[in-house]
Amino acid sequence: MSLTTEFTKGIWDKNPVFKLVLGMCPVLAITTTAENGLGMGLATAFVLLCSNLVVSLMRKLIPAEVRIPAFIIIIATFVTVVQFVLEAWAYDLYQALGIYIPLIVVNCLILGRAEGFASKNPLLSSIADGAGMGVGFTLALVTLGSVRELFGAGEIFGQALFGATYSPVLLVLLPPGGFIVLGLLLAAINRYTQHRA
Amino acid sequence: MKHFYRLIITLTLIAAGAGLVLSLVESATREPIAAQRKIQQLKAISAVLPAFDNSPTEDCVVLEIGRDKKDQPLQRTFYRARQDGQLVGVAFTVLARDGYSGTIEIMVGVDCHEQIVAIEILSHSETPGLGSKITTSAFKDQFRQRDLNNTDWRVKKDGGEIDQLTGATISPRATVAAVKRGLEFFNQHRSQILARSGDQL
Repeated sequence: MSLTTEFTKGIWDKNPVFKLVLGMCPVLAITTTAENGLGMGLATAFVLLCSNLVVSLMRKLIPAEVRIPAFIIIIATFVTVVQFVLEAWAYDLYQALGIYIPLIVVNCLILGRAEGFASKNPLLSSIADGAGMGVGFTLALVTLGSVRELFGAGEIFGQALFGATYSPVLLVLLPPGGFIVLGLLLAAINRYTQHRA
Repeated sequence: MKHFYRLIITLTLIAAGAGLVLSLVESATREPIAAQRKIQQLKAISAVLPAFDNSPTEDCVVLEIGRDKKDQPLQRTFYRARQDGQLVGVAFTVLARDGYSGTIEIMVGVDCHEQIVAIEILSHSETPGLGSKITTSAFKDQFRQRDLNNTDWRVKKDGGEIDQLTGATISPRATVAAVKRGLEFFNQHRSQILARSGDQL
């Protein structure tokens, strides 16, 4: 596969949220607003890119039996680096994302790409894969966050759209609403994909 | 057996490498982070007090407010703000442990008449989009100019005067109760808080 395909597959064909359905914990927990989705998506994309890079570089050095703990150490290191850097130089973003950053370590999307792709593929493909998956994850989180914010609060990125008369559907913002919205989006995407095929 | 050692050595090296990277990043970010925290604290203090020209983080009184479960003293710091040497207000943080999830940390600023100048939510982990709206100015501004005498310190749902939030009553209720407790403590310990300053409120 060419590098371009490695990159674009993460955005649609193998979108981590809508097609692979990986990393659901942050997906459902934080997508109450589009802004949260964007921040979490970008932080995850950064960690994903770095961990894919390092795992790919070290893939021949790490024995198969200890690969999982090795990957987790690498991922956790980058997450902690992100946390330090954000707190030192981007305090506002750090405050907005603060409680979600440690969640990135347990995002199985990152471990999944390390294990399923970067540990078997050369450096450039792994970087393309990480970048594509990161962008796909971010787009999916922003989509989900926008839908939930739109119906749950009548806003998108904090901009009111429906006027003051709109009474928000609070359920959409609560955890069950996250499952329901995700389910409906998945159904719509499957329907569309089948139609095309 | 040789393979077994290889596993141990690889993992050890990776962990050591990670430790090295982390300690480098930590030492590079330690000072900016400490500076940021100080700026943020001063920003929160300024946000809840009238204009002042001293540095309240240095002009402060620490009082014991009770004991925790392990019988360790719980402390609260009162930051005193002055303008031309004259006391203009005091800021302190209160904790609401009965929020919807986790502790809500609130900075409260009072003026010379024990009236609230403003409050600021320092940290919380309430439900995003619902309880988290305690951080909006629409909610926080309700506390301005309130004191123990002029206000029924309950949310409207409980018969008081503070508007709760649509879909979230627990977070505002906890916030209101914590601010009220803070005001009461201030009222009871006023002389200690202002001691050594020679000022009269």
